[in-house]
Amino acid sequence: MSYIVPIGPYHPALEEPIHAKLYTEGEVIKDAEVFVGYNHRGIEKLATERNAIQTLVLVERVCGICSHSHALTYAMCVEQINGIEVPKRGEYIRVITAELERLHSHLLWLGVACHIIGHDSMFMHIWDERELVMDLLEELSGNRVNYAMVTIGGSRRDIDDELKAKLLQSLDKLKGPMDRIVEIALNDKTIALRTKGVGVLKKEDAVRLGAIGPHARASGVNVDVRRDSPYCSYGDFQFDIPVVDSGDVFARVVVRALECYESIKIIEQALKYLPATPINLGNKLPKIQKGAAVCRHEAPRGQLTQMVVGNGGFNNYRVSIHVPSYKNTPTIPHMLRGNSVADAGLIIASIDPCFSCLDR
Amino acid sequence: MQQYKRIDIAKDQVVPIAEKMRKAGVWLTMIHGFLNEEGLMDISWDYQVEPVIESYHVVGEMTLPSIGEIYDCAATWPERELNELYAVEFEGLDTSKRLFLPEDMLETQGKGQIMVTPLSELRAKNIKKEG
Repeated sequence: MSYIVPIGPYHPALEEPIHAKLYTEGEVIKDAEVFVGYNHRGIEKLATERNAIQTLVLVERVCGICSHSHALTYAMCVEQINGIEVPKRGEYIRVITAELERLHSHLLWLGVACHIIGHDSMFMHIWDERELVMDLLEELSGNRVNYAMVTIGGSRRDIDDELKAKLLQSLDKLKGPMDRIVEIALNDKTIALRTKGVGVLKKEDAVRLGAIGPHARASGVNVDVRRDSPYCSYGDFQFDIPVVDSGDVFARVVVRALECYESIKIIEQALKYLPATPINLGNKLPKIQKGAAVCRHEAPRGQLTQMVVGNGGFNNYRVSIHVPSYKNTPTIPHMLRGNSVADAGLIIASIDPCFSCLDR
Repeated sequence: MQQYKRIDIAKDQVVPIAEKMRKAGVWLTMIHGFLNEEGLMDISWDYQVEPVIESYHVVGEMTLPSIGEIYDCAATWPERELNELYAVEFEGLDTSKRLFLPEDMLETQGKGQIMVTPLSELRAKNIKKEG
């Protein structure tokens, strides 16, 4: 018997609007289609009538989880057009915020993945540890999301010695529970049974469809903007890029779990070698000079691309935002084929989707 | 700081460049588009030849060849987006389904109205509609 099973657009896996149509033969999915665009807010259009500082606030609202990534990439674009050199300390503080954001985003996804496969006690443990990271972010920026740490030409808030000691101490405290979480994630039978061999994306398909970020690295594609095209002093830090070849949901769990350690490593190095320069270049409203720039940032979900075009005035002429989910969502139908309907939610969630981001 | 290199090309070079890049294993970052100040469509194919972004621009063309056969969804999604927001036609692209805009919008209002119309006009139109 063949059926068409509609899923969504209301929260099929995470609290994100996507509609998937599954063409099934009994329990097995033969083909699938995805539909996006349920949360199109016209942010690109609005940005054409905002100046640089107003746009920082606006693009930060594109996404709740990777808000710092958007503001950072936009600031990088404007700095590239205007030829502004950011002070080192400002760049290091940007990196610290970006890595804390990656840490909390990956822990969030690990928790959600455990929740979807029905391992709720694990979900609660992981989110308990995530609160520690959220507290650090609140301490650092005064906010749990939308940190507003970035300004054109640097960062907005400094890290004093007291906060530095607290950050290092809390990260140390996080390592014990992280070891335990990773050990369970790698060895637990429940997780292995629900994730191994599910939603496989082969390396050649990942390359052909243009998958990026942890999603591509779980399929054996070694891409990372932080290493390939260093920005924001990322070249100063030592870190590894975990790559797993199997390409199933389990590989995505492993890659994200291991990346948490790398983030901790980067934050510790950045705090240790925090340079003693000013954090920004003052708060004067900049004009955006005539020209264009495309900048990329390794957001928690992958490569975030923004293009900014200026025409010499205060306002942007054009802002174009393309988030990692824009590249990863087209791989969903490919991964769904051949799996059972019961795994559809998990496979959709396995790209760590952010469809509100995608729709902008 | 990341680097960005602008290269202007003609319309018939788009497909050969895409084939060359695909063969070299270079990733297509994005296809960007905007109306420049002379009112001409400026479309750029951005390839990440690490660590530089090489941006190939075609200015003033509203009908362009699609590179969907070469880069699959990495190219067709941005092409569909440009088709909806700016009414740029890509030869060989399937545009029977909408990507971002509401289902009925293509029929009632036509393509390419959103990014082209000034915000103040769009606002005035909506206020009038609401009475």
